[in-house]
Amino acid sequence: MMKATTGLMSVGRAAELISAGKYLNIAGDEEALKQLPKGNWIGGTIPYFMADDGGVISRDRVFVNEIEVFGAAPSIRLLDVDSLPQICRNAPENGYTILVVPAFGPCHSSFAENAPNYEEMYMKPLIGWVAGVHLDDLGQRTPKVALGTTGELSDQHAVVIDVPLPAEKFARIDIVNLFKPGRGAAITFENTGFAAGDCRLGGQPANLADYLLAGKIDTRLPLVADYCGAAINVSIKAIDAAAKRVEFYAPVFPGVEYRIAEPLADYVSAFQSALPRIEGSITFSCNCILNFLYSELAGKRTGHITGPITFGEIAYQLLNQTLVYLTIEG
Amino acid sequence: MKADELLYQLLGVEAPWQIVQIRGDLGKDQIDVWIAQQTGRSGWFFGSKPNIPPGQEQVWRHINLGSSRCVIHSVVSTSAPPWNGQAGQPFTHAMAQLVGAMMRDGIKLQSICAILDITVADLWKFKHSLDSGKAGLADHAPAAATESDERKSRVADQDDPIWLKLLDGAVNIDIRLLSLKFLMTKLREQIRHITDDEVRTLKAYELHRFVVRHEQMLDHELSQLAKL
Repeated sequence: MMKATTGLMSVGRAAELISAGKYLNIAGDEEALKQLPKGNWIGGTIPYFMADDGGVISRDRVFVNEIEVFGAAPSIRLLDVDSLPQICRNAPENGYTILVVPAFGPCHSSFAENAPNYEEMYMKPLIGWVAGVHLDDLGQRTPKVALGTTGELSDQHAVVIDVPLPAEKFARIDIVNLFKPGRGAAITFENTGFAAGDCRLGGQPANLADYLLAGKIDTRLPLVADYCGAAINVSIKAIDAAAKRVEFYAPVFPGVEYRIAEPLADYVSAFQSALPRIEGSITFSCNCILNFLYSELAGKRTGHITGPITFGEIAYQLLNQTLVYLTIEG
Repeated sequence: MKADELLYQLLGVEAPWQIVQIRGDLGKDQIDVWIAQQTGRSGWFFGSKPNIPPGQEQVWRHINLGSSRCVIHSVVSTSAPPWNGQAGQPFTHAMAQLVGAMMRDGIKLQSICAILDITVADLWKFKHSLDSGKAGLADHAPAAATESDERKSRVADQDDPIWLKLLDGAVNIDIRLLSLKFLMTKLREQIRHITDDEVRTLKAYELHRFVVRHEQMLDHELSQLAKL
């Protein structure tokens, strides 16, 4: 089988792949996606990428992941907020699903808060990313997803591609998260939410905004929780000192113990050290816009892993400041 | 009888309630039905278009329509028709009665899930509400174990105590598979709050099912369990 085509490319080259009948995941600026012909692709808006030669911002090129077909054809569809909870149940018995969700829309918040309780969650591989916009366009344009089969763009729906695999192959999803829980007090919350004020610090009632401000804590550092050995981040979006509330890029959950992450001296060198040896090729991967910005990744490479730089990463559930990737084994 | 009249009869929907929307595309073998009460002018045919007030919609699983799941979207009704349910509960009154009857007959929760095609999470939520309110299942003797998987496997039987030990933290292993890390975190948090032995067993079965399904990806984890 020929090696799948993956990388940052011109709209014209992507159009050729679409016309050849390839199944594709495509990330690009809205105007670039609009130029693509109809075909077997899903997409989302974002102009930030990790390309072969390093981090780059481009409005006229798109990042393409070709999806290898092993027999049965993948299926592509839009999901609304009501059908999103069925995503894992409807996924192939053996295979994987790529999900693209537009940031700030109803699917984004619903997925973020409820995905861990979806039927069949964690039983079937689910990976994906959150579409965004150029930061200069915030407030002027909305992030969107694209259904290639019709050319429809939507800021209200999510888009998925279900990829069946033969019995001898299986999909594996993993993450690279450089952040580790720091030595500060354990932070817990009473409720699920994208914002919080009241919390418990080391078991005592406290206010998170007060804690961050009083300690002059670098809010580029995420809250990190230990999920049975997986460090899972919740990134801090803003502190409203007057309202004594902290906004996040992903929800915090009750029953989970968070700590402010240990600072990172150099993301790129730490990434190189943390990068696992990956057998075979990566079918899909993406990294976080916050890593791109905070670690100034423009022009810098993160090993051989390339892909869109996104407003959120999905490895089963919504993640922040984390690289996610999927490989096919067997 | 017209097709829409049949659906009204199957669901037991009567005036002033109306079926206002039906969708068959939200899930595999699933029919979603929105039922609303007419507001404004009274009357069955001549009132204003009924709708569900924003923010008040409840979603309940109803008795299956043939082989399809039936999901009702509506608001809580004080008259408690069978297709309606309680706020925050997973099942309609009719479905709750059916599940309750099966529980009283001593049918295993796992079997109820399979027979009615309902999720463990929904059944657990329903049972939890029963336990905290008026009913319990502790007096019912467990039914016979389900048939074990005959194929060769390194995975312990679903009734092996190792699964509960993993969930309650009595046994810890190093986990490499990301999805298992997530699942274990979720199940451990749930089991901290579960005192009912049968529901704890269901959680253990959920973990067992994951391990069976992902056996070929769990060499590292299974080799540790084999040494215990």
